[in-house]
Amino acid sequence: MAEHAGVYLRLAAASVRATARRPAYLVVRFLSAGMIVGIEVAGVVLMLDRFGSIGGWRPAEVVVLFGLAFTAQGLALVFGDTLEADKVSELVRRGTFDQVLTRPTSPLGWVVASYVDTRFVGRMLAGAVTVAWAADRAGVAWTPGRAGLAALAVACAATIIFGVLLAAAGFTFVTVQGSEAVNVLIYGGQYLASYPMQIYGSALRFVFVWVIPIGLAIYVPALGVLGRQGPAGLPGWLAWLSAPVAGAFAALGGLAWRAGIRHYVGTGS
Amino acid sequence: MNPHPVIEVEGLRKRFRTRRGPVEAVAGIDFRVQPGEFVGYAGPNGAGKSTTVKMMSGILLPSAGRVEVCGMVPYRERKRLARRMGVVFGQRTQLWWDLPLEESFELVGHLYRIPPAERAARLARLEEVLALGPLLAVPVRSLSLGQRMRAELAAAVLPAPEVLFLDEPTIGLDVEAKAAVRDFLRELNRDQGTTVILTTHDLDDITRLCSRLMIIDHGRLIYDGTVEALRTAYGTTRVLVVDLAEDEPVQVQGAVLARAEGRRRWLEFARDEVSAAELIARLLAGHEVADLTLEEPDIEDIVRRIYRGEAPP
Ligand SMILES: Nc1ncnc2c1ncn2[C@@H]1O[C@H](COP(=O)(O)OP(=O)(O)O)[C@@H](O)[C@H]1O
Ligand SMILES: [Mg+2]
Repeated sequence: MAEHAGVYLRLAAASVRATARRPAYLVVRFLSAGMIVGIEVAGVVLMLDRFGSIGGWRPAEVVVLFGLAFTAQGLALVFGDTLEADKVSELVRRGTFDQVLTRPTSPLGWVVASYVDTRFVGRMLAGAVTVAWAADRAGVAWTPGRAGLAALAVACAATIIFGVLLAAAGFTFVTVQGSEAVNVLIYGGQYLASYPMQIYGSALRFVFVWVIPIGLAIYVPALGVLGRQGPAGLPGWLAWLSAPVAGAFAALGGLAWRAGIRHYVGTGS
Repeated sequence: MNPHPVIEVEGLRKRFRTRRGPVEAVAGIDFRVQPGEFVGYAGPNGAGKSTTVKMMSGILLPSAGRVEVCGMVPYRERKRLARRMGVVFGQRTQLWWDLPLEESFELVGHLYRIPPAERAARLARLEEVLALGPLLAVPVRSLSLGQRMRAELAAAVLPAPEVLFLDEPTIGLDVEAKAAVRDFLRELNRDQGTTVILTTHDLDDITRLCSRLMIIDHGRLIYDGTVEALRTAYGTTRVLVVDLAEDEPVQVQGAVLARAEGRRRWLEFARDEVSAAELIARLLAGHEVADLTLEEPDIEDIVRRIYRGEAPP
């Protein structure tokens, strides 16, 4: 694996070099990804300001939660953006994935490394800045333990999101053109697939990218970071449960990805 | 004693589910390929050529049957097989689109763990044979189709594969680029002993390169043998093309008038019934002839007739 890491690093470097050939484009994408976080944070702050506090949480504390989620999403998407359904179907439809399967590397390693998206480093950094800023407003006194918990929250939430993307990608292999039968089964045919999937998709997405990561990986460690008591005295060690939970998501995602490749049929041209 | 075959295919099938119901793209085929063979794999569009190649290269899981390449089951030992096999799809690229061509070769070197000195030596030879020198600094996306295909071939053989699968490598190429590709493949097969499976619907590729021809239609192998054997087995009909001095009806014993256009006549006759010399003598006895040529059975014609199910088995 160590020897392989070199290959994947080279692939990633090649992908970054390819984008870097258009530096202006790279900078704009990077900045805009960061700016989106700024706008989203501003939205959250404005909204929270009207309430003063939510369930005993001050706005700054809630923003810490969101900041951790932004950071985790950025981290997950640097590697996992290419696993989004539209990108995977593009890889399949163009036959690129056929060729990935003829390479002497792991297909997942290839895809992830070849399509790292540095734009999301922008989201990650903006998320980290948000956490630092909001923690300061919330009066958090950083200790190594609290920093560790914040890092744990980010790593676990990112792993969960990556696992979900992985599962979705595995699923896309099966549903993408070529085996419409599955599409019909799952989405109820063309009629359903064309219109409501988008709404359904974004609702699902909201659950998987915000609700689940925050609920399972960020909320409890964040209590520790903020020095708050959880409801009904949640035990402190619960924070460490985030790791196995995230591991389970990644493992399930990996299984779905493998199943997807086994059922891969590519396109008919 | 035959050496161990490079490719063994037995009862191989692939079925796709489509909106219009199941499609049996490959419907039970069997063949073996020995090391060093150059096999042309022909068939009309949609016959199942690409699907076969995809199963042999580990991209697709067969629905039934057995396939082994270099002693490995492709989809099960994908990574290990990948080191011993090269694949080129004519309309796709395995190069790094936005980077200068030389970076692709460098990456391939690392991916396939080719020692740097070895890579440099092989590349130097490939650059010469395929005239790649001036292209090395050019981003792949700026290469012409012909240039790119030469680069694809170089990248595919850089790891010195034992087997090379080529799916329609000459599609869309002009005459000159086609010739360059063919020359290269001929030498590769002759000098390195690389086993080549060439999928094409351009029969010219096959008659110029392949020692063996397999024809697939509707997922079944309908011919497997040499090009010569095909010609003698199916190509018994020759055609005498005659330009008459005057526009008049023609009748010659032993020949059938296949076509007439102005003063030109196409007379079909069977090789084993009458010789060309005899036929010409009979013709000249009754008609004044301005010019004539003899057409040997065209492999393309033969194959087209096989597709249509016209030629005898
Ligand atoms: N991924 C796929 N999904 C559904 N049908 C396919 C797929 N790939 C190939 N086919 C069908 O299988 C048949 C054989 O295709 P293919 O192997 O590409 O033929 P060829 O390469 O000889 O033109 C065609 O009818 C094609 O439409
Ligand atoms: Mg094809």
